[in-house]
Amino acid sequence: MMNIVNKKLNKNQNLAMVIIGDRCVNCNACYVACKTDWEIPAIKEAYRTKVWEIESEDNEGKPTISFLPVLCNHCENAPCVTVCPTGASFKRDEDGIVLVNPDMCIGCKACMVACPYDARYYDEEKQSVDKCTFCLPRLSVGLDPACVDTCVGESRNFGDISDPDSSVAKLLKNATSISRLKEDKGTLPNVYYITINE
Amino acid sequence: MSRLNIDRRGFLKLASATGVAGVAGITGLPSPLKAASTKDQKSARFLKYDRGVLSPSFCEMCFWNCGVNVYTRNGKIHKLEGNRLNPNNKGHLCAKGNAGIQSTYDKDRIQSPLKRVGKRGEGKFKKISWDEAFELVHTKLNPLIQKYGPQTLATFMHGTGEPYIHALTKALGSPNITIPAYSQCLGSREMAWIFTFGTGVSGHETYDMANTKHMMIFGRNMAGAIQVREAEDFATGLASGAKLTYIDPRLSESCVNATDWLQINPGTDLALALGVINALIKDLLFDADFVTKYCYGFEELKKHIKQYTPQWASKKCGIDAKTIERIAWDFAKDAPNVVAIPARRMTRYGNDVQTVRAIAIINALVGNWGVPGGIWVRSSVPVKLPEYDEPKQPKTRRADGAGKGEKYPLAPVSLGRTNGIYEATLTQKPYPLKAWILYGTNPINHSSSGVNDIFKAIENLDLIIAIDTQFSDTVMYADIVLPESTYLERDDAPHVQKDKIPFIALRKAAIKPIYDTRGCFDICKGIAKKFEIDKWFENSPKKQIADLFKVLTKDQADTLSKDGVIKFENVDPYPRASGGELKFTTSTGKVQLSVPVLDDMYKKFGDDFSPIPIYKDPITLPKDSFRLLFGKTPFHSHARTQNNWVLLELQDDTPVWMHPTDAKKLGFKDGDMVNLINTQTGAKSDHSERLKVTKRIKQGSVFIHHGFGHRTKAWSRGYEKGTGDNYFISNGFDPLSGAGAFNNGFVKVVRA
Repeated sequence: MMNIVNKKLNKNQNLAMVIIGDRCVNCNACYVACKTDWEIPAIKEAYRTKVWEIESEDNEGKPTISFLPVLCNHCENAPCVTVCPTGASFKRDEDGIVLVNPDMCIGCKACMVACPYDARYYDEEKQSVDKCTFCLPRLSVGLDPACVDTCVGESRNFGDISDPDSSVAKLLKNATSISRLKEDKGTLPNVYYITINE
Repeated sequence: MSRLNIDRRGFLKLASATGVAGVAGITGLPSPLKAASTKDQKSARFLKYDRGVLSPSFCEMCFWNCGVNVYTRNGKIHKLEGNRLNPNNKGHLCAKGNAGIQSTYDKDRIQSPLKRVGKRGEGKFKKISWDEAFELVHTKLNPLIQKYGPQTLATFMHGTGEPYIHALTKALGSPNITIPAYSQCLGSREMAWIFTFGTGVSGHETYDMANTKHMMIFGRNMAGAIQVREAEDFATGLASGAKLTYIDPRLSESCVNATDWLQINPGTDLALALGVINALIKDLLFDADFVTKYCYGFEELKKHIKQYTPQWASKKCGIDAKTIERIAWDFAKDAPNVVAIPARRMTRYGNDVQTVRAIAIINALVGNWGVPGGIWVRSSVPVKLPEYDEPKQPKTRRADGAGKGEKYPLAPVSLGRTNGIYEATLTQKPYPLKAWILYGTNPINHSSSGVNDIFKAIENLDLIIAIDTQFSDTVMYADIVLPESTYLERDDAPHVQKDKIPFIALRKAAIKPIYDTRGCFDICKGIAKKFEIDKWFENSPKKQIADLFKVLTKDQADTLSKDGVIKFENVDPYPRASGGELKFTTSTGKVQLSVPVLDDMYKKFGDDFSPIPIYKDPITLPKDSFRLLFGKTPFHSHARTQNNWVLLELQDDTPVWMHPTDAKKLGFKDGDMVNLINTQTGAKSDHSERLKVTKRIKQGSVFIHHGFGHRTKAWSRGYEKGTGDNYFISNGFDPLSGAGAFNNGFVKVVRA
C-alpha cells in the first residue's frame, strides 16, 4: 500500500492530510470552522473544504451512502501552479503547501479550470482566487488546521508523512487501504483516504 | 494590477483543447518556478496568526453544552473551538457549534425590548426601555392573574435560563410549566428507562459506543442528530471494528458503516425488539448470572415472551425471522460489551414507552450495565455544591392532564405536556389559559402545531411574552418581546454534569452584549420585582459562579479558572466489570423486566399499561397517502440555527424523499416539485419542495428534514426555507408518559 505515498522530495517536510474514511460522520464541522477562521465569502460556492454525501447502490440493489471530505490536495504535480501565468499560485519548497498570493493574482481563473478537484474559488472582495492553505497561519503558531482541530469523528489527521514517527505516517503504514482522488491525472495528491478496518 | 475577467466555462473548453500546460505556455509571463523563488516574501502573509483572547464557555447552538473556547480579537469574536478537556466534546464542535459567531453577529437579532403595535404576527413593534417592558408585563399579566388565577399562565422553556423561568412561573403561582424536551422529545424514553433501571438515559446518553463490540440502534441517528461526544464515540466504535445493526425505515447518515441496515416497517420496532428478546431467552443467550442476581420478573417475562417468536415478529416488522435470530445470536456472542439503543426523540407511534421498555430489557438480558461497551454508570460531581431555595411547585391542577389523579398520572408535573398545553389553550379547558411566556421556544413551529390549530389557540391568548435571542415565528406574534443576550455575551450559572466522568464547566461572557439585551436571569428578576417576588432572584449567575469557587479546593478552583472545566476522573463507570456491586433505584431495587408499579394500572386500563410490553399494531395508512417521517439534519437544531447564513449554505431546503416504486405509481420523477397535503386537516404546504426519489426511504413513507419552514419575515435569510413538518405530523399521545406521538401523521403528495 505504501507505494502510492509520495516520496520525500527536496523538502524538509512533506505535509499531508490523512483522512480515515471509516470515521467521517458527514457533520461538515470542517466546512464551518474553515469558513469562519478564514472569513471566506458568505456564498455557497466559496469554501475550502466540505463533505460530499455520495449515494449509490450495492450489488443487490440496496442503497448505500458514503462520505467524501474534500479539500485542496496540495499536489506534488500541481496543475494550478503550472498553469498560473503570474506565479501567484505557487508550491512551497519547504513543506509542499500550495498557496495563492493575492497580490499577484490577476483573476484569470486558469487555475480553477486546471484543478481536477474543484478546490479553488474566486474571492470578489480580495479580487483573487483563493484556496485551502493547510491552515499555514495556524501551523506557524503550532496549531492544527481548523478542520482537523474540530473534526468530530477524528477522521482528519495532519502532519509530516516524511517523518516515520508522525501520527500520519503511522496511519498510512497501518492502513488497510490507501487511495487518492483522481490518481490518473498524475497530480500526486497529498491528501490520502485510508481505511483502518478489514 | 489589472484584472482579467475570463469566463470559467470558456476556459474549460480552451483547457481541454490545448491541455493545461498549453494555457500557461501562451501567456509569456514568468514561469511559476521562477516566481516561486521569491517564496519567502510570498508566504510572509501566511506565517502569522493571532489567536486572540480566550474566554471559556459552553455551547448553546443546541442543548448539549459542549465545551467551547471563545477567541476574541480586538473585542470581536473571531473563532470558537472545542475545549479538549470537556468530556462532552473533547475539543471538537459540530457545524452548528462552529457557527455560533454567525448567530451572535446577526443583524436580524432582536436588538431591544419591544412592544407590539401592529396586528399579531405582522411584525410591527415599538422599541421600549427595559423598565417600560417590565412595567408592561406587570400591567398586562397581573389583571389576568387576578381574574383567572395564576394558573392562567403557561410557560415554555428551552435553554440555560430554564431554572429562572421555572422559578418565576412557580413564584407567580402557576403549575403550568412546560419543558418541550419531555413531551416532544425524550420523555417516553426516559420513563421506560426509569421503569427498568431506576434512572433515565439522560440527555447525555450513557451508551459506551467507543468501546462496544455491537450497537443495535433503533432509529437513533447518531451522525445526523448530532451530539458531539456521541458522534465521536460512534465513529470510534465503528473504526475499532464494532458491529452496527441499524434499524430504521430510512437509511440515515448513521447507516454509512452499518453491518446490517434493517429497513423496518414504521411503528413496529417493538415487534422486532420482542422477537430479539424471545430469541435471547429461547436459545439461552442471556446472562443468567446478571438476571439471577439483579433482575426482577424474569419468570413472568419468560412466560410472556413465548408468543413473540422471531417468526411472529417477522410478519409485523418486515425483517425476516432468520435475520432476527442471527442478530440476536451476534449480539449475545459479544455480550456483555454490547448495547441496544432506542431513538432519542421517542415521540413516535404512541407505543413509545413500551417500545423502549423492550429495548431496555434486551440490555438487561445481556448484562451490559456497568460494563465497557455497554451502559456506563454515571457519577455525580464529588463536591458539595451551593444550594439555593426555589419556590415550590404550586398544588393547583395542571391544565395539560399531567400529574396524580389526572389523565396522565405518571407525567412529571415539573416538565409538563407541552402539546397538552396547546390543546388546553385551544379549548380553554379545563380552565382558561390566557397568557404564555415563551423562553427560547417556538410553538408555531413545534411538533404537531398544525393538528393543534396553533394559530387558533394563540387567538385565545390575551398575552404572549417572548424571551428569545431572535424573531422566531412565534416571537412575531408576541405582545411583549424581551431580548436575551446570546450565550457568547453572558455569564451563566456553572454547568454541572453527572456523567461517566462528572465535571463542571464555566461560561463567561466573551464580549459585552452587542445590542440592548439581557441574560435570562436579569429578565426574570426584572419581571419578579414588579410582582414583588424578587426574593427568588438573589443568586445571579455571577454570584453562583462565585459561590461555586468558595466550595472548591484551591487546586480545583485553579483548574477551573485555567481550563474552563474541571473533571472528576476518580470514578468507576464500569462497576460490574470491576467486580463491584450494582445498585438500582427502582421500587424493587432491581432491574425490572416486569414493572410492578404498572400492575394495578394494567388491570384498570388494559394492555397499554402492561408491566411487560404487549405488542399493538401501529395505526394503518389511510388509502393513497404516505406516512410522514421526519428527522434531524446535522446542520440545524431548530429555529435557533435557521437564520444562520453559514448553516443555510449547508442546507436550506427540505426535499421530499420518496421510494422509486411510489414515485412511479404517482408518475413522479426525481426533481419534480411537489406539495404535501395533511390528510387529517386538509392543509396544503405553502412551499413546494423538490422530490428526491430514493430507495433510502421505505415504500409507503415519505421523509423530510425537521426544523425548517419558518415564515418569520424578520429573517432576511431563513424566511421561507423549506417546509415545516409540524403542519403535517400527528398529535397522538403515549398513554403512559403523555408525551407526543408524531409519526402517525399522513400526507398526500401532489404535483406543485
